[in-house]
Amino acid sequence: MLGLRDLQAAFAGIVKGEVQSRLEAAVVGDSISAAARLRVHRHHIEQSLAAALAATFSTVQTIVGEDFFRAMARRYVAGDLPHQPVLAEYGAGFPAFIADYEPATSLPYLADVARLDWALNLAFHSVAANHLTAADLSSLPAERVAGLPLKLAPGAVVLHSSYPIDRIWQVSQPGAADESVALGAGGVSLLVLRREDDAAFVPVSEAEEAFLSALGRGETLERAAEVGFRTDDAFDLSTTFPRLLALKAFAALQHHFVERVEKAV
Amino acid sequence: MHAVAGIGLRSPHLAEVAHDRPATGFLEIHAENYLAGSPALRTIEQLRADYEFSLHAVGLSLGSVEGIDDAHLERVAALAERLAPALISDHLAWSVSGGRYFNDLLPLPYTEEALDVVVGNVQRLQDRLKRQVLVENPSCYLSFAHSTLSEPAFLGELVRRSGCGLLLDVNNIVVTAHNLRLDPAAWLADLPASAIGEYHLAGHAVNDADGEPILIDDHGSRVSEEVWSLLDAVLDRYGPRPTLIEWDTDIPALGVLLEEAVRAGRALEVRAGANARAA
Repeated sequence: MLGLRDLQAAFAGIVKGEVQSRLEAAVVGDSISAAARLRVHRHHIEQSLAAALAATFSTVQTIVGEDFFRAMARRYVAGDLPHQPVLAEYGAGFPAFIADYEPATSLPYLADVARLDWALNLAFHSVAANHLTAADLSSLPAERVAGLPLKLAPGAVVLHSSYPIDRIWQVSQPGAADESVALGAGGVSLLVLRREDDAAFVPVSEAEEAFLSALGRGETLERAAEVGFRTDDAFDLSTTFPRLLALKAFAALQHHFVERVEKAV
Repeated sequence: MHAVAGIGLRSPHLAEVAHDRPATGFLEIHAENYLAGSPALRTIEQLRADYEFSLHAVGLSLGSVEGIDDAHLERVAALAERLAPALISDHLAWSVSGGRYFNDLLPLPYTEEALDVVVGNVQRLQDRLKRQVLVENPSCYLSFAHSTLSEPAFLGELVRRSGCGLLLDVNNIVVTAHNLRLDPAAWLADLPASAIGEYHLAGHAVNDADGEPILIDDHGSRVSEEVWSLLDAVLDRYGPRPTLIEWDTDIPALGVLLEEAVRAGRALEVRAGANARAA
């Protein structure tokens, strides 16, 4: 008799297309064979997880079409089933899979578009949290502000691509005008953000990307600004910082930290 | 909750429901769609003031031999605490093995071994939530030769040993009975009536397997006449309960779901009226 642990483990093999003869022997077959009955589950697992990926990576699907996407998604599903049941959190490895997916090599930007879809999905599902405002900082002396390790807002992330993925993404949205994008137009750096009712991205300069990435690594505002300036000496914190504050790109200061700073003052 | 008819609230209808606040008995949401923060969760919390809610989990994997995932249980518990729903449910099925989630309600052999596993998992869930949960009969596409209990007998024992309630999915009874060559009336005959806390109704598809029709529980169409008539038999036998219209694929206009819920509500009223006259 097939014990429950072995029975459940055997289903993982079914998803990979393996013949699980002990499992098949344990299933009652009649005019519908045991294999055909097991296939109902295999198809549902593949189709529903491919559909979940299509919902998260909708821009990728628009670019390659439903049939191509489904074939690609099924290959991914067979090798990387979710670790948990929240489908909006499934697909972290899909962009890297796409980068190595042979049939998609003629679309070298596709993996980067997938990274953008994924970042937007994460931002959309991030926790709504208070963000840093100019007023929060106005009570602190300038040198203390410079020493703050500012955190990016929940869901905020910077991406870089060697392709104009912002334009590719825009022309691939439902209802977009039928335009072509010049792939040679060059790369782009994007800041992805959660907004009130959705998620969005804004282009940033390479120096701004370096600045934001440095903050993301836990650098202080002053050190991150130095990184930005080293990337491009035209980097100007006095225009970049208010712009990013207005975009709600930073998380609110943690109280214990503000108190520590205030005590030090 | 009273024995009213409600609808499964799905994301394509969220904005419309939030705006129009249509009259319906209650709303049911899938727990796993609201565990990550999102603007949608805020909308649900706003609706909570105006509607009774049922929280229907699809991923607790009550039949997993490796037990319920701690992290997932904590997330579901946090959502349950936040929404304080009238009902909480999941399925007599499993979907996790080796830490991997299959996104399918996979079948259990109905054995003493499986019963021990499900009873343990349901008790753990109820202990964590500090309340009774309802366990739903699944749609079956296969059965195991080494099962020693029928599905209704397994459910009855589960209720007796764990103290859980039952969510009777009438469409699933039709699907299972057709696919496993069972008699739906016999399936229905001997359930613990007082444990039944909710009914589900949905549409199913007819697919081909080895050249024969197999019913697929795809929640992609109107409730079939066969399911409506089995609902009448269920109401005759067990009486009215909160009754839900589910629709998950090819989701139509909200009005179609509300219409189906009105029809379910009429069936409940007819039965409630008959009970009142009999009393």
